[in-house]
Amino acid sequence: MLRRTLASPQAGLVAVILLLGAVLGLFAGSHVDARSGLTVNNFLNSYTLIQTATDASFFAIMAVGATIAIISGGIDLSVGSVYALAGVTTAMVLRSLGPADPLVAVAIGLAVSLGIGLACGAINGALVVGLGVHPFIITLGTMWIVRGIAFVGSNAESILLPRALTSVAKASLGLGDSLYPVPMLVMLLVAAVGTVYLTRTVGGRRVFAVGGNQEASRFSGVPIGRVRIAVYVLSGLTAGLAAFMGASFYGSASCADATGYELYVIASAVVGGASLSGGKGSALGALLGAVLIVLIRQSIRTLHFDQNYEWIIIGCAIIIAVVLDQASARFTERRLAGVPRR
Amino acid sequence: MRAVVERLTVLAAMAIVASCGGGQPAPGGQATPGQAAAGRALKIAMIAKSSTNPVFLSARTGAEAAAKELTAKHNVPIEISWLTPPTEDGQIQAQRIAQAVNEGASAILVSCSDAGKVTGAINDAVARGVPVMTFDSDAPESQRFAFYGVDDIKTGTLVMEELARQMGEAGSIAILAGNQNAPNLRKRVEGVKQAAAKYPKIKIVDTFYHIEQPQDAAAEVIRVQNAYPQIQGWAMIGGWALFTQTLLTDLNPQKVKIVSVDALPAELAYVEKGLAPVLLAQPTYLWGYESVKRVFDKVHLKQDVPVIIPMELVRVTKENLGTWSRQLKAWGFTDVPESYLALPQ
Repeated sequence: MLRRTLASPQAGLVAVILLLGAVLGLFAGSHVDARSGLTVNNFLNSYTLIQTATDASFFAIMAVGATIAIISGGIDLSVGSVYALAGVTTAMVLRSLGPADPLVAVAIGLAVSLGIGLACGAINGALVVGLGVHPFIITLGTMWIVRGIAFVGSNAESILLPRALTSVAKASLGLGDSLYPVPMLVMLLVAAVGTVYLTRTVGGRRVFAVGGNQEASRFSGVPIGRVRIAVYVLSGLTAGLAAFMGASFYGSASCADATGYELYVIASAVVGGASLSGGKGSALGALLGAVLIVLIRQSIRTLHFDQNYEWIIIGCAIIIAVVLDQASARFTERRLAGVPRR
Repeated sequence: MRAVVERLTVLAAMAIVASCGGGQPAPGGQATPGQAAAGRALKIAMIAKSSTNPVFLSARTGAEAAAKELTAKHNVPIEISWLTPPTEDGQIQAQRIAQAVNEGASAILVSCSDAGKVTGAINDAVARGVPVMTFDSDAPESQRFAFYGVDDIKTGTLVMEELARQMGEAGSIAILAGNQNAPNLRKRVEGVKQAAAKYPKIKIVDTFYHIEQPQDAAAEVIRVQNAYPQIQGWAMIGGWALFTQTLLTDLNPQKVKIVSVDALPAELAYVEKGLAPVLLAQPTYLWGYESVKRVFDKVHLKQDVPVIIPMELVRVTKENLGTWSRQLKAWGFTDVPESYLALPQ
């Protein structure tokens, strides 16, 4: 069991995350907790660990969907904009409804967020398949269009959400004050569902087939158009879910939300082992990729590096992670092929 | 490869276990709100809107100067922990507020990119015993103990009144308004419009929003000026466009006048050339300097601090260009042109 786990494609990523966590734990220093009076490690404390998972969760939820699109050989650059539109639409709908029963507000909010995500994803998929244009171009276009609709629709206001939604997203679930595990749990749930979909369902296998070899899939009778539309619907859905969680957690939504997040999401997928040429990737890898990127960001501050170097460090880390992953894959391939090491 | 991964994992797990020293009684020497009062270190997290905006870098310089002064005067080590995100993002600010609390900050200073996004995080910080003060851009619905900054409606009003004076109280104007999400900027626009209503011969063509980067702002001005050649005045509620030098050649000072908030070194040429006869400077250095002093008053000296602490704008014209330039230099700006520093009092 341990051997199989260590041989899995994500084992290297887990090791890097653990190593980085250990470095942070060792060098983060400590402080005295204001309330308990106890000395607490600046990184290895329940607040920071859950906060790190929370920060990663919004990227990771989107990254699971984006990874499915990438596995199919596509790409979705519109996820950040879909996040913004889903968030502001949810906020506007709930504001227009006025005071409502908390459960009803949460249900409506979730339905609107997912509905917007689904609709945007379906439009992306239909345009990609219908027009036969590369998904990079289509989703680049819809990235601007969707952001523009959010801007015009909301008049660029930052719109508050009902307290009921924040209460759900920030429920402590008995862990104690100021500990909010819900986004982390949703992230884990989405990664689990994504894993089951990709590895245990016909739909998931078709996604790999289309991304691995589209022509072979066509001759095998795989409905390529339907599969390609479905992957963008799933990507949109996860963006909608992330928007619901993000807007609920932070208590407001605006058209500027998640600006530039598409790059973090794609980086999470790629760092997590997804191949931009398709046919390779996993939901768990996307989650781990998002966690690693957030952890790197966290480490810049925790280890007191100059903030101004954040982009340089993240950029280098992404390149190094992907190069190492590719080197590892080549090594494994050669080992399986029985090629002797030089 | 598997062996390497295995060793890395074991090593990491051992290191994590070794570093799990949480839950120990306080050995002293660390900063907490309560201990700060007893003369121990004070760690103030500073979260401005964007670390690529020079106004916030001067605020950081001010905060560090105040920390140094107070450390020397009261023998209390004060550390400024700079947690400003590279670009404006309310969500990231909220995350950094939480991080500051998790890492033992004694107090937090924040300029809110999106008040709605950070209000919850501010309230969480306060609930965990960490006082929060806002500067520049407020979160009025939060439990922050004070706000230091200009009155934004009044700032917009002053911009319009100065512009009207420069234009002989007649003509078409445009408002350059930055990011439409920022509540403080929206109020300034409102102030401009309120003041413009007092001048029947002044017509506002429109309000133009843009990405708060110098090149984007300058490009927007040129685009708008080409589309509306009748514009004779620009009410700029932030100085973004004037951080570039391009408008010095693209706009004719005989036909167009600009009045802008902010007067940083890059903008001073516009005063000298007469294109922006008046700049209304926010002493951005004081955002950091005054705020750190107020935090110290509140956290260490346990003094009452007013909830709203107004910042006064400085009117910069050709007459006081030399004095203002020297002030900027004293506040740590390294790019003040020598020619302005040499100007008489």
